[in-house]
Order: sequence, then structure tokens, then C-alpha cells
Amino acid sequence: MIYFTEIENLPVYDVTGAYIGRIVDLGIDPNQNAMRVAAYYVRTLDKTEVHILREQMQAITVRSAQTSVSRKEIHSNKPVGELLRVRKDVLDQQVIDVNHRKVVRVNDVDFDLQPIDGHIELRVLDVNVGMAAAVRRLLQGLTSKHTIRKISGFFPSRTIPWEFVNLIEPDSSRRLKLRISYERLARLHPADIADILEELSRDEQRSLIEALDHGTAAQIMSEIPTAMQAQLLESIPVEKAADIVDEMPPDEAADVLQELPPETSAKLLADMEKEDAQEVKELLGFEEDTAGALMTTHYIALEGSATVENVIEAMKQFEGPIESIHSVYLIDAEEHLVGAVPLARILLAPANTPLRALSVEEVRSVQTDTDAKAVIDLFRKYNLLALPVVDDKNHLVGLVTADDVLDLVVRRR
Amino acid sequence: MDRVRLKRFRTKLLIFLAVVGPGIITANVDNDPGGIYTYSVAGAKFGYTLLWTLIPVTIALIVVQEMVARMGVVTGKGLADLIREEYGFRTTFFLMFCLLVADLGNTVSEFAGLASGMSVFGVSRYIAVPLGAFLVWALVVKGTYRFVERVFLVGCIFYVAYPISSFLARPSWSQAMINTVRPSFRLDSGYLYMTLGVIGTTIAPWMQFYLQSAVVEKGIKIKDWTYSRWDVIIGCFLTDIVAFFIIVACAATLYVSGHRNIADAGDAAMALRPLAGRLASALFAFGLCNAALLSATILPLATAYYVCEGLGIEAGINKRVEEAPTFYWLYTTLIALGALAVLVLSDQMQVPIILLSQVVNGIMLPFVLIFMLRLSNREDLMGQYQNTRTFNAIAWLTCVVMIGLTAMLIVSSFFPSAYP
Repeated sequence: MIYFTEIENLPVYDVTGAYIGRIVDLGIDPNQNAMRVAAYYVRTLDKTEVHILREQMQAITVRSAQTSVSRKEIHSNKPVGELLRVRKDVLDQQVIDVNHRKVVRVNDVDFDLQPIDGHIELRVLDVNVGMAAAVRRLLQGLTSKHTIRKISGFFPSRTIPWEFVNLIEPDSSRRLKLRISYERLARLHPADIADILEELSRDEQRSLIEALDHGTAAQIMSEIPTAMQAQLLESIPVEKAADIVDEMPPDEAADVLQELPPETSAKLLADMEKEDAQEVKELLGFEEDTAGALMTTHYIALEGSATVENVIEAMKQFEGPIESIHSVYLIDAEEHLVGAVPLARILLAPANTPLRALSVEEVRSVQTDTDAKAVIDLFRKYNLLALPVVDDKNHLVGLVTADDVLDLVVRRR
Repeated sequence: MDRVRLKRFRTKLLIFLAVVGPGIITANVDNDPGGIYTYSVAGAKFGYTLLWTLIPVTIALIVVQEMVARMGVVTGKGLADLIREEYGFRTTFFLMFCLLVADLGNTVSEFAGLASGMSVFGVSRYIAVPLGAFLVWALVVKGTYRFVERVFLVGCIFYVAYPISSFLARPSWSQAMINTVRPSFRLDSGYLYMTLGVIGTTIAPWMQFYLQSAVVEKGIKIKDWTYSRWDVIIGCFLTDIVAFFIIVACAATLYVSGHRNIADAGDAAMALRPLAGRLASALFAFGLCNAALLSATILPLATAYYVCEGLGIEAGINKRVEEAPTFYWLYTTLIALGALAVLVLSDQMQVPIILLSQVVNGIMLPFVLIFMLRLSNREDLMGQYQNTRTFNAIAWLTCVVMIGLTAMLIVSSFFPSAYP
């Protein structure tokens, strides 16, 4: 194992023993192999930079490195294209530790030396974020590498295997070129990604939201403060922002649109799918801190004659997250709210039972202009998971869910 | 006023109030016991004649603080973060180490200020200091960011004690005003030293780190930058307005009556009693205690913040102790050591610690200022929010002058003969 702190500034000699220069950086080509060093950046005596290719490196020790070809050949190497650079892009930068769901700063990078087909290859093992690596950085070049290893050995070392490291590249063209994906990150729970997001700088946040798929991005949005959502949506192209808002629950979409400047939210609404935009627009009409502003328009409402089978059909076609359904609401032909059936009752009933027979005796509801505080009180008093919202003529128009109420309570505290 | 205009004005005011905080708090902490002592001495020894320094100091303060706040808003990163990414580990470590030493010294002087302020009310330091230390510690460890910030803002309001006590001292306002706008130079070492002291105490490196981190932590958006900028500018003015009143209060009483040697800020408050009345004296001491508590909270907090930030260790008052152990340990240790030093060491023995911190501050300032200037001129970081040409000219001039003055201050602190 060899550390980047030991490779940096390492003198390089050619096959005849002639001095070439000192290693200043290592390049990785993620398009070919994200685990190994593809090129060595070497500064020569006359301050120019030459590139040594992976297969031209004969030997590397903590004292020096040697190429398998002549100095002349090295100097005639074509410049390597854009690579991921250890010194410039990884060292001292913030990266995401996907395993521990944390943002960390890189102190050192550890490599493994591997002989392959007559040359030596550097394989990236892990990034080092612990005290030991910090000590190495501090002492680097001040005393012998042997002593440094000894001293740093007294301190705890903390490493993150390279495959669990997710780099962050704010420049999107460079990100594509270097194939830096947020795939590993995207596998985390949206709430964890949201936590990570809040630790990052503005550019990095933008790049993350831009690169993730709309569905994930929309779920992350639900986990961060509305002001931050607005800022992020403003920083990315309108089409992408519209796609994300499309995927958000209508009540949250309405919240963030209210936070945006009117011109921007108008643009977003115009770019969204018609149906979703319509729902959101209706929600935008309600006064802040009323049931109307709190409610979502994603719910299942069926007529009383519908059967359990119909419910399953409706659930298959349901647009929002299916986990959010706890009850099915019953309406008459004029969409008046007439009943509610908890999912558990449906589960236990024979397939052809009409829902009317399963309805609870008394269905609680609030009007769109009911104060948010009254809504909170109802949830607490009756231990509700969801509460239907009706207009002044008792037409079912929306649903307030417990998670939104919880957010509201926390915010008001 | 028509209704649309009124509504727009109200919206603007609300946004401003939401964004306000970092700038005003930083600026007020700047008037810590060390600062209050310096201003008191300036007034007691030289009357109104040093008031003119406040105008250039305010300008320099605004230039420097505006720059870091802007960097925080635009990049969303703290100053220590940016320095780490640009100048590497070793530079950052060196700076963080200096900050730690300097701020430990500052913390000692905050608690010393608390002790001397409370002694005016007849409270023993052995009660005041441990109690104060526990209070500030608990506030941060148990509180959330919003709560802590609110307490801080309330603390800032109490600085009004100084203007009131200054009015009670019945100063000659016309003389004060004339001396504020008319520079007067005297070529004696005591006067020169005092001038440097006023400037040095007003612009200190920790402020830049703290302000930028606070702006980032608050999550201020680029579109609210105008408001945030006003927060910073108003804060800088407040700092120096308070400084103005302290100098005036002491000039009108201590200087005029010939009571020109004061040992610490509490001493100044005591000396005010026969000259300006009990109320003025009590207000002065109250202001001192408030300042001591406020800065004893923020300084160790800020230090723990950017040390962790720069070295890549988790930090933040929104984190639990288990999540950010180093952060909380650093904070706790700084407070404990600071309080302990005041309890254990005699006033004589505290002097070298405070002197050392002044020197370290001085060594750091050039680095911090130059790093800041270079970072805020980077197009890839700042985009359209880079410094303008005119701004750069003023900023570089400020830096050069600041660096020169600090160098003089350090040199003079090694030659006690120059010290009055």
C-alpha cells in the first residue's frame, strides 16, 4: 500500500536512469476503469508538465519511480485528455461516504501497487479521512517517509473504500465526460440524501438535483425546507424543474410554487403536465394555514356501490405514492362525501362486497377554510392518519395527511 | 402611500428580518470586553481626540465583512472550507491552530470582563464566572440554531446601555462631533499605540470566519443578498456607534476629571459612579457583562466551528453531541479553559495570554485578508458576484493599511516602553 502523500513529489527516472521530473498528480480515466490510475502528471525541471501513461510505468517505491521507456518517448506522449485528477479533484474536496451517508473531506488517498504484464499499476483502494492521514499531510516532505509512517501509525485511521465514495462535480459537462454518476448516492433513502444535500455548497446541490432522476429529486424535495426547494428549482433549467414539480405531491408543489417569484412559478406551471398543473393551481387559491392549503388532491374516492375489486383497480391506477393510502372515501353521484372505508376493512372483506357495507359510521371532515390549528387538534384528538377536506357544499376536494400535519406541528414549535 | 407600495414595503421588511442576524451579531460581538476596555482607555486618556478613527475603521470593517458575507451567500461554503480547497491542508491547519490560540486568549479576556463587570455589582468572580460559563455552554449544547440566534439578537439590543450611560455623563456633543470628522495626529507613542489598539480591536480574523459560516448556516439565498448585505453594513455601523458612545462617556467624565488610568473595563464603570451617577455606572457595567456573555458564547462557538470545518470534522449546533463530538468538545474545552484561567490566574498573569492572542491575531490577519481577496476575485467561485474594480482598490488598500498597522501593533507590544 502506498499513500498519495508519498507519491506526490516522487522523483521519476526513465529506463536508462535519466531524471524526468516529479509526480504532481495522478489521473484516473473512469470511462475505462474507475479503479486504476491511467496516467501520471510529471513536472520536469524546466517546469513543463509531461504525462506518463499507465503501461509506461515500470516500478514505484516510496523513494522513486521508474518508467519502462526512454525520456524521449515520454516527451513525445500526446497529452492525455480530461481525466479525474486525484490531487485536483479528490484531495481536500468533499465527497459523499455512501455507506455512512455522510459528507466527508478527503485527507489522503490510498493505493495498492500491482504488477501487471510487465508494468506496475496503481489501484485506488480508498480515501482516507482520519487523523492518521491528517498527520501525514501535515508532515509531508518535512521528514522521511519512514518516520511519517511511524508517527501517523499512532493516530486512528478512517478509510472509505473507493467503491463507496461518491464524488461531486458541479460542472455538468465535466461530470458526463468523467462519468461521475450519482448512482450510488441515489440508492440511499431520499431523507438521507436530503441530509447530505444540506451539507453541500450551492453548486454541488444544484448539480445533484440536476443529475438525479425526477422521481428521486421530487422525493428529496419533500424532505428539505421549502425555501431551499425554491432556491434549487430556480437554479436548474425550467423544463427539469417542471418535471420535478410534476412528480411532487400537489400540496407540496403548491407550497414551493408559492415561495417562487410569480414569473418563475407561472413558467413552471406552463411547463407542467396539464392535469397536474390544474390540481396545483386549485391548491394555490387557498389561504395559507388553512385545510385547503394543507391538503393534497391525491386520494381514492369511489361510489358506495363500488366493490373491493374496484378498489384494487383504483389503487393500480393511483398516481401518488401507494403507501400514503389508508382509507378509501365514498362519494355519491354529485361527489358529496358520504363515507370512508379503512384499508384494513377492505383487506378482510370478500372481493364482491360493496364498499357501502364497510364504511365507518361517522366520517369526519373539515372545510377548505378551516384553520390549520383546528386541523392539528382534530388529528391529535382522534388519532387520525388522514382527514378529508370538503367545500362549502360538502363536495370532497382533498385530503390532509398525517405527515403534512406533523411537518406543520414541527414548524410551529 | 398606495396599498401596493405598502404591501411591497412590508414584504421587503419581512424578508430583511428573516435574513438579519449574522452581520449584526458578528459586529456586536466585536465590542467584547477587550474592545470596551480599549475604547474606555481611549476616552479616558485622550478625551474626544481619537473619535475620528472610527470613520475609517467603519469603512474598513464594512469592506472586509461585506466580502466574506458575499462569499458565503454565493458559494454556500465557509471561509475555512474555501481555504482548505484552495490552499491545502497544511495552510488550513496552520490558520486553524492560530485561531485556536488567539481565541483561547480572547475567551480568557471575555471571562475576565465578566468578572470585572459583575464586581461592580458586588458579585464575586468565583460565582459570576462559573455561572456565566455554564450558562453560555448550556445555551449552545442544549439549544437549536434559531433559539441561539434569538438569544444573541436580544443580547445585541442590550448594547443600548452604552448610549444611555453616555447621555447621563452629559458630554460636550459639539466637541465629540467635531472630533469625529476632524482627524488629529499626535506624534507621541501612547497616542499612536491607542490608535492602533482601536483599529486592531475592531477588525479581527475570527470575525471573517464566523460571519461567513453564520451566513452559510442560515442558508441565505442569493436573491436575498441585498438584505443580507444591509444586515452586514448596519451591523458594522452599530459596532462603531457603540464604540463612539463608550469613548464619549469616558471622555466626558474620566478624561475631564483627570481620572485617566483605568485597569480594566469594570474599573471604568466604577470610576463613572461619582462622575456620572449610579445609573450610568450600573448601565456601563451591565453592558460589559452582556458583552462578555455574548462574546464568550460566540467566540468559542465560532472557533469550534471553523476548526472543524477546515479540518473536515463534523460540526454545527443543529447536530447532536454524538454526531459531532469533536465540535462539542472543542467548544466545551475553550469555555472551561477560559473560565478557569480567570479563576486561577491573577490579573497580572492573564496579561501574557491576552497579549499572545493579540500577536497571533496580528500574524493571521494578513493571511486571512489576502486569501479572502484572492478567493472573492475568482470567477469560477463567485461568477457575477466577483469584486468590482473599485471595490478591489478599496479592499487592497484596506488590507495593506491593516497589515501595516497590525505589524506596528505587534512590534510595539514587545516594547513596553511604548506602552503608556
